[in-house]
Amino acid sequence: MFVLVVGGGKVGYYLAKELIENSHEVVLMEKDRDRAAQIADEIGSIVVAHDGCEGKYLGEAGCARADIVAAVTGDDEDNLVICQMAKRHFDVPRTIARVNNPKNEALFRHLGVDEIISPTRMILGSIEQDIPVHELLHLAALGEGELEIIEAHLQDGSPAIGRAAGDLTMPVGCSLFAVVRDGIASPLLPDMRLRVGDKVIAIGPSECSVKLHEQLIGAVDVEASPTV
Amino acid sequence: MSENPSPVFQRALIALAGGPSDARIVKLVAELARPIKADITAVHVVEVAWSQPLDADIAGRSESAQQILDQAEATAEHAKVRLEPVLLQAREVGAALVDEAIERAADLLVLGLPYRKRFGGDFAIGRTIPYVLKNAPCAVWVVREPITEETM
Repeated sequence: MFVLVVGGGKVGYYLAKELIENSHEVVLMEKDRDRAAQIADEIGSIVVAHDGCEGKYLGEAGCARADIVAAVTGDDEDNLVICQMAKRHFDVPRTIARVNNPKNEALFRHLGVDEIISPTRMILGSIEQDIPVHELLHLAALGEGELEIIEAHLQDGSPAIGRAAGDLTMPVGCSLFAVVRDGIASPLLPDMRLRVGDKVIAIGPSECSVKLHEQLIGAVDVEASPTV
Repeated sequence: MSENPSPVFQRALIALAGGPSDARIVKLVAELARPIKADITAVHVVEVAWSQPLDADIAGRSESAQQILDQAEATAEHAKVRLEPVLLQAREVGAALVDEAIERAADLLVLGLPYRKRFGGDFAIGRTIPYVLKNAPCAVWVVREPITEETM
């Protein structure tokens, strides 16, 4: 497989190195000439010392025959431009972008980037799992990002406590499918009554967060914005 | 100092760039190799752009690449030495030369440095020579063309 990696920071460097070790053909684009030379010294003649945001140089780096383009620079704007050019102009089958600001994820998806990797969101998710929060926890995005798996940790005061799962009014397109009780996961049946400490797992479009919050956590505090 | 200053090498690799230096370095290495019966390999590397796969049929179809090797062979033959011509294609000439030197356990790698008349004329060292000097495990000779009225 031929992979074009754009961005020679830590992520790009280790990505290229791993891909080479796994016998893939790799070219790495890095606009900083000194950094490009340093990478070439360390992992070999796979570096094109040009700016991947310029179509001419993307073409020279072999974008038209790439199976995958991974844009992993530190700039979301650059990553978006690179993936868009790769997708629209060079017909690359799969584009992957690093998104540093989670707020840009929707835009990336809307503009056709195939896969989005958000280190910020991953770390945020990890932190949220370890901290007892009264908010919803977004565990993962599914498909092209239109659906999310969301966890609600039921606390005292939750309107769902003591009610059967089937009695809750769920937003359209959103369903509760599992509960984690005392560390054991089981399917959430309609007649199962919810208790304090339950972790309820839901799947639905991200827009259903507010309604889901109302049903499982309580009315949304307008002063505090919901978790992203 | 030793009475016989002839350098000792057993397997020499000559880098052919397709310029006027080629004949000079082939002749030089051939003259030195003849009395000691050293092996000579002459390599010409065709660089393949990233826009094409590395195994694209480029070098094999290149008449000029074949001519470069033929001329080197003829020069060596004239000096009564056998030379093995090798045509390679790679992403970068320097890396290909170093790899080939390692693969063949060459103990000498010889490159020419031609005088360039463009831009007022100079000995532009380019990328290949510094790469080879830095990375080749064997001895490296860089043979600079003499500055004569002809080359000026």
